[in-house]
Amino acid sequence: MRLRDLPAVLYVAAVLAFVFLPVVTLVQFSFQDGLLPVPPFRGVSLRWYEAMFADRRLMAALRNSVAVAGLSSAAATALGFLAAYGLARRRPRFADAIQFLLMAPIAVSYLIIGMGLLIVFNWLALPKSLLAVGVGHVVINLPLAFAILYSQMGEHQATIERAALDLGASEAKAMLYVTVPMLWPALLAAFFIAFTLSWDEFVIAFLLSRFDATLPVIIWSMLRSGLSPELNAVGTFVFGTSIVLVLAVELLLWRGRSRNG
Amino acid sequence: MAEALVELIGLGKRYDGAVAVEGVDLAIAPGEYVVLLGPSGSGKTTILSMLGGFVPPSAGRVRIGGVDVTGLPPARRPTATVFQDYALFPHMSVGANVGFGLRMRKVAKAERRRRAEEMLRLVGLEGFAARAVHNLSGGQRQRVALARAIAVAPAVLLLDEPLGALDLTLRRQMQEELVRIQKRLGTSFVHVTHDQEEAMSIADTVVLLNRGRIEDSGPPDRIYLRPASVFAATFMGESNILAGRVVAAVAGACRVETPLGLLPAAGAGRVGDDVHLLVRPERLLLGSTGGDETVPLGRGGVVELSFQGTHLRCRVEAGGLSLLLRLAVDAPVAVGAAVELRVRPADLVLLRD
Repeated sequence: MRLRDLPAVLYVAAVLAFVFLPVVTLVQFSFQDGLLPVPPFRGVSLRWYEAMFADRRLMAALRNSVAVAGLSSAAATALGFLAAYGLARRRPRFADAIQFLLMAPIAVSYLIIGMGLLIVFNWLALPKSLLAVGVGHVVINLPLAFAILYSQMGEHQATIERAALDLGASEAKAMLYVTVPMLWPALLAAFFIAFTLSWDEFVIAFLLSRFDATLPVIIWSMLRSGLSPELNAVGTFVFGTSIVLVLAVELLLWRGRSRNG
Repeated sequence: MAEALVELIGLGKRYDGAVAVEGVDLAIAPGEYVVLLGPSGSGKTTILSMLGGFVPPSAGRVRIGGVDVTGLPPARRPTATVFQDYALFPHMSVGANVGFGLRMRKVAKAERRRRAEEMLRLVGLEGFAARAVHNLSGGQRQRVALARAIAVAPAVLLLDEPLGALDLTLRRQMQEELVRIQKRLGTSFVHVTHDQEEAMSIADTVVLLNRGRIEDSGPPDRIYLRPASVFAATFMGESNILAGRVVAAVAGACRVETPLGLLPAAGAGRVGDDVHLLVRPERLLLGSTGGDETVPLGRGGVVELSFQGTHLRCRVEAGGLSLLLRLAVDAPVAVGAAVELRVRPADLVLLRD
């Protein structure tokens, strides 16, 4: 390294520190052997993780989060797949307009989507619930799932499906035996990305839930009663789960590319 | 010719008003190897797609085995296609790819496996059934695509530029194998290509297409030796085309005034017609005397000479024209030399425009 590179290196180090220091601190003080997640660091202990897993309210929220994320992501992926398939293979009239409308929610803030759903559910006399949160998460994740899957349905894949039809498959069988397995990495990637976003989504979950809450909502309400290393442990757990999912997506997309390439 | 297996009747296709294919009539006999040949945009792939059921025709009918299949989807036609980019199922093994059509026909697993192995043996990939598709070379993928298509025992096999992505050596080898497999199965093959050498070496019948219409069709030797038009003559190999005018005509023969003199030609013409004469490069002869059966074309100068292994490729300027010759490698010529050109009247072919 030459001396004149030093400012650039320092700058990069500063940016990385700015981005990662809060997370590193959060993770570090989840292992705090003391009552407060603030310096000095008193030594490594897993007591707050023990406390977290013993906390019935947190465990209920964890179950809620997994259920909402799992079901809403599966729904968003399935709907996104069907929309992409229909648009790519049937080329309906106004395909561009339909694509625009499918992608539009991505440009709307979660707050607006949450408020809109709240008003609609109120009007339909549907109570606030985890189901309502799940519907909200389908709304925000459908565009992403659609975009990922639509990008994987090119002319090359179309010819492969045509080969299946040519060999005697019905359209349903071609979809089941060829399209879905061929797009399996992309389908899983869409599912995991949707899962990650649902997993730590707060605004919609906060607006649309009442008695049963998801993890981010519980974390928020616990934060109101003050800092505790237990919250750091929960945060670390949420963060770690997201990281694992993102890595899984990277791996899937990378494998999909190398296989088709 | 035996009863036609495939009949295309007045087949046409328009895309947004632009004509892709127009007025194509074609009959294909059982066991015939037909090559649809033409430059890009000539409509050859569109015809193949209409045969396979992937593109609905704008006009005309498609009949296979006496049944009108014009409105039937690909799955319900007795055709199978080898696609240009092979279109193998990337998530299946080689064996599962080849057995896919049989699986769709609800053939039992053991029988499927046996048939797939048999097809793989036929294309020279014995023992490949368990392999993954993405580990195969281009030539091997091509063979799997072929095995997959013939496994369903189609009445007609459609091949869309199947050898386009292969290198030259492999392409020549695959051409021979395609013919061998086709003769062994007795299935009609319809093969699309823009490579006239490929067409000549494999086809029973070449169908030459130009701008969506059939320009000429027949056995490759007939099309090469007696092409129906200037386009057919120039597309099917190298050629010398002499423009001229008919000055005398008798039954089945005429005399044509050309830049190289007054020449006799077989074929019907009317006095005063503007016509073209074709002479292939290997049919132009050198020498001041060539026996009674040749006629002189006058003198010319050699301007280019290149050694091609099996022959010399030679360009001669004569009568204001640049002529291409294919000479024996030991022919006594040199660049700059003056030569006398001769030709047998039988090698002069009268062309319509």
